[in-house]
Order: sequence, then C-alpha cells, then structure tokens
Amino acid sequence: MLAATHGDVDLTDEAKTRSRALNQFLAGVELKAFKIAQMALRHEDDALDAVQDAMLQLARAYADRPAPEWKPLFYRILENRIRDMQRRRTVRGRVISWLPFRGDEDDEEPDPIAQAPSPEPQPVKRLELDEAVGALEKALEALPRRQQQAFLLRTLEGLDVAATAAAMGCSEGSVKTHYFRAVQALRAQLGDLYV
Amino acid sequence: MNPSTSSVSDFERNARLVLEESVSRVDARTRSRLNQARQLAVEAAGARPRPRWRSFALMPAAGAATAALLLGVMLWQRESAVREPVQLEGRAQAVEDLDLLADAEGLDLVEGWDGPGPGFYEWAADQTDGNVQSSG
Repeated sequence: MLAATHGDVDLTDEAKTRSRALNQFLAGVELKAFKIAQMALRHEDDALDAVQDAMLQLARAYADRPAPEWKPLFYRILENRIRDMQRRRTVRGRVISWLPFRGDEDDEEPDPIAQAPSPEPQPVKRLELDEAVGALEKALEALPRRQQQAFLLRTLEGLDVAATAAAMGCSEGSVKTHYFRAVQALRAQLGDLYV
Repeated sequence: MNPSTSSVSDFERNARLVLEESVSRVDARTRSRLNQARQLAVEAAGARPRPRWRSFALMPAAGAATAALLLGVMLWQRESAVREPVQLEGRAQAVEDLDLLADAEGLDLVEGWDGPGPGFYEWAADQTDGNVQSSG
C-alpha cells in the first residue's frame, strides 16, 4: 500500500520520509535550542514555549524546503520568537509596574523533587565542571543579545559564519564582529578558567 | 602560529565542552516536553495541505475549464447583443400600447366610435367603397 492515512490526509512514502527527516532534525537541535532560548529569556517555561513555536512554524511553513536549509531557518524563527517574547515581557513589566496590586502570583513554587540534591556522589571533577557551567552561563546571560546569539550559534550549535548570518538576519561581517566581541568579553570575565 | 588565535581556539573548545555539558544536564521533564513539542510539529507537517507543485499537475484541466468558461461567457454576450434589438422592439411596442390606452381618443378610434354617427371603421369602409364605386 503506497499511502497511509495520517489524520485527515494521506501520507505518501515521500511525506513519511520527510516527516522522519524532520523528526530527526528537530531531535538533534531541540536541546541546544532550548539552552539558547533559556539563556536569552532566563525562564524555562518561556524557553520551552519559544522552542515549541519555532518547531511548529518550521514544520508548517518550511518542511518542504531542502533539509540543509532547516537549521538556519529554525534558528531564525526561534530568534524572532525570543525577540517577540522579550518585547512582550517588557511591555507587560511596564503595565504591571503601574498596577496598584501587583502580587507574585506568577512565581511558581519550586518543585521540591527538582530542587532535591542528587544522590549521585559528585567527584572533584564534577564539581569543577559544575562551577564552569554556572560561570559560563552567567557570563553568557550578561552578554548583549546579539553577541550571545552569535557565540551560541557558532560555538554550541556549530553553525558556520554564513549559516549564523542567515539565522541572525545580518551580514557575515556583523557575525564576525559580534562573535569576536563575545569571546573577548567572556575571556575578560572568566579569565584563566578556560585559558 | 599566532598565540592569540591559539588561545581563542582553546577558549572556544573549552567553552563548547562546557556548553555541551550544560545541555546534557537538561532535566527529564524538559526533555519530555520538548519531545511532545517535536511530535506535534511533525504531525503538523504531515497534516499540511498539499504542496503547490502538486497543483501544477491540475493546470491543464484548470486551463481548459477556464477557457471553456470564457468561451461560454463570450457566446452568451454575443447572443445577448443579437437579441437586444428584438427586446427593444418589444419594449417599444409595449410603450406604444400604453400610449394608446392612455389616449382616450385613440382608443375610441380602435374600438369604435361611441358618439353619434358611424364608427371609424365603418366610416373608413364607406369611404373606400365610395372611392371604388366612383372610380368604377
């Protein structure tokens, strides 16, 4: 049988292959995308929403594009989504600051299970790595958004300059500048930790 | 080898390792939610309408249907243009009838003379007969 039903539509072999490829692509980028969004938004749920929206938009609008184009497109969509959420948050912050009754209803109670220390013993190496992760994440969060984006796309996601430029919607020269400044700032802040 | 380039490369390599470690520490709940989001996205891609290029296959049929429609419209317009004088003629006749009905004198002439003496048609017939006899 050549076609199988998928919801209300028929999925041909070609569509099934494409769906599989899309699933594989998204599985490969989702964690890194989440970390990038988390560092930009500094909020786990917002980061998850941003990644989910980016996945959906890529799937709906660009699934027919050649697979090598997916990564820059996906990160471009994610970046737009992050920017929208940051703007909305800024507006919301301004509105809330004018309200007479502003409680902390949005602050969720921390999950005690998530907060509980891991029973796994942590050797010295593990502690050093923990410190390094914490220090780098903190330093990255302090970077200007474009520098942070250029650094994460180049270093974490491994995009080349051209793909990073496509994802950021700027020239390759701008990517090089942002990236260089990010590295300089991180090295200045983290010092000998990495050198 | 440029020492600054080398140090930047070391920094980048170390930073990448640390970032990858950070990614590997993403908790199970977040991974599960990302997995669900991915499944939704893949389903959404599968449920998309057919791509445009597939509709190109229907182009000849659509073109033929459009041409037939255009031809039909043109023929219909031409037929309307031919019929139009007839319709106008009919309308003119109707207007003439209305004038006749509105004009009491004209109606009397058609239906017959109600006044003293013979009606119009009788008078006209007499006139004709008289002319025939006088000429005969």
